[in-house]
Amino acid sequence: MMYLPPNCSQGDLRLTPKDGWHIVLRKGRLKIAEGTQMKIKLLAVLIGAAGLLLVAGPVIAHHGRSNYDVTHTVTLKGIVTEFEWINPHALIHFDVTDESGKVEKWVGETNSPNTLSRQGWSKNTVKTGDQITLIGHRVKGDSPYINFSKIIFADGKELSPAIAN
Amino acid sequence: MRNRWMNPIFAMLTVLAFSPVMFAQTAAPLGAKKTQTSLHPPDLTGVWANITESGATFNPKEAPSFQPWAEAKWKTNKNDDPGQPLITNGRVDLDPTVATCFPTGMPRLMTEVFPFEILQVRDRVLILFEKDYAVGHIWTDGRKLPEDPDPSYMGQSIGRWDGDTLVVDTIGLKDITWLDRAGHPHSDALHVNGRIRRVTHDRLQIDWTFDDPKAFTKPWTGRTIYRYKPDWILEEFISCEDRLLHGGESLEQKAVKGHVQ
Repeated sequence: MMYLPPNCSQGDLRLTPKDGWHIVLRKGRLKIAEGTQMKIKLLAVLIGAAGLLLVAGPVIAHHGRSNYDVTHTVTLKGIVTEFEWINPHALIHFDVTDESGKVEKWVGETNSPNTLSRQGWSKNTVKTGDQITLIGHRVKGDSPYINFSKIIFADGKELSPAIAN
Repeated sequence: MRNRWMNPIFAMLTVLAFSPVMFAQTAAPLGAKKTQTSLHPPDLTGVWANITESGATFNPKEAPSFQPWAEAKWKTNKNDDPGQPLITNGRVDLDPTVATCFPTGMPRLMTEVFPFEILQVRDRVLILFEKDYAVGHIWTDGRKLPEDPDPSYMGQSIGRWDGDTLVVDTIGLKDITWLDRAGHPHSDALHVNGRIRRVTHDRLQIDWTFDDPKAFTKPWTGRTIYRYKPDWILEEFISCEDRLLHGGESLEQKAVKGHVQ
C-alpha cells in the first residue's frame, strides 16, 4: 500500500511503470529526466529493502535460533506426506528423494497457526502430495529438520511466513 | 529547470511511500482527533498488537536494580547469544512457558508477540489474550485489592479511571513465571501498576511501575506500545501441543538430540 500525505490525493502522485515515475500536478504534468529516474528508482529500492529488513528480521528471531545453523541457507525439494496444523509451530512432513532414489523423511517447521491464519494460511494451504521447495535453516547436527522462511509450490506460488505482529 | 526543484520533493514523496515507519507515525493522527477527549470513559475496546521497540521487555527506563538472588537468576535467564535481536526471548531451555509448558501469566502476557483484545463491561475491563487463551479481569467497581491474595498466574487486578487513563494495580502473582519474555525474575510480592492510555486512535500506551522489594532494591518503570488492529480477530495459541502429540517431546527437541526420523 502506498502512503500519500494528507494534502495529496491519489491523482497527484502516480506510478507509471512503462516510462518511469511521474509527478502529476493539478495543472499539467511534469516528467522527470532519465538519469534522475534511475537515481530515484535506486533510492526507492534501497528504502524498500531497509523496510523489508526491519519487518523480516524478527521472523526467525522470536525464540532465538541457537538450535539452527543460521550461517547456511538450505533449499530442499520434496513431496508432502503430512501437514500438521499444530501449536506452537505448524509442521510439514515431506519426502526428499536423492539422485540414487533414496528417500529421506524431513520435517519443515514454520510459524504458529494463529500467525499463519492472519496471513491467509489454513490447514489446506499445504496438502499431502504437493511438490514443494522449502528454503530455510537446518537444525544443528544431522537431523532432517528445518525452520523455513519460504515455501515454493509446483505452480511457482511462493509464501513467506511473516512475523506475528 | 522545473525538474531541479521538483527532485527533492519527489525524493521526499518516495521516502514517504516506501517507509513503514513514516506510514505508522503519520497514519495515526489522521482519525485520532475525532475519538479523543470526548469519550468518558475512553474506549479502549479492540484488538491490540505489541509494537514496543525492545519487545521482549517492558522497555525499562533504567535497568532494574536486583536483590542478589534475582540478579543471579536474571544473569542465567537472559539470552546472551550474540547477534540476537531485542525481540528475542530469554533462554529457551529455562523459559517456564517454552521449556516446561507453564502458563505465561501476568504481567509477561503484555510483552508477548501475540495480540490481545480489550473489552469494557459494566463492572470490569477484560483483557482476552491470544496466548494461552488467558483472560485478565480488571475490576472497576470500586472494590479493594485483597489483603493477602492466594497466588495465581493472572493475579488480582483492580482499575480506576484517572481522566483518560485506566490505572490498573495487580498483585497476587505466582513467582513461577517470568516477569517478561526477556526473563526478568520476580517474587510473589510483585505489585504491578499500569497506566493504560489510548494516545491516538491506533496507539495504546502503557506506563508501568514494578514494585517488588523481594526481587528489586527499588521500583522500576517502563513503557510498552500497542497498535490497533481493527481487522484482526483473536485466534488461538497453545504452547505445548506439539510435545503432547509427539510423545512428550516436540519434533524440534528430538531433532536437536538427533532422534527425529
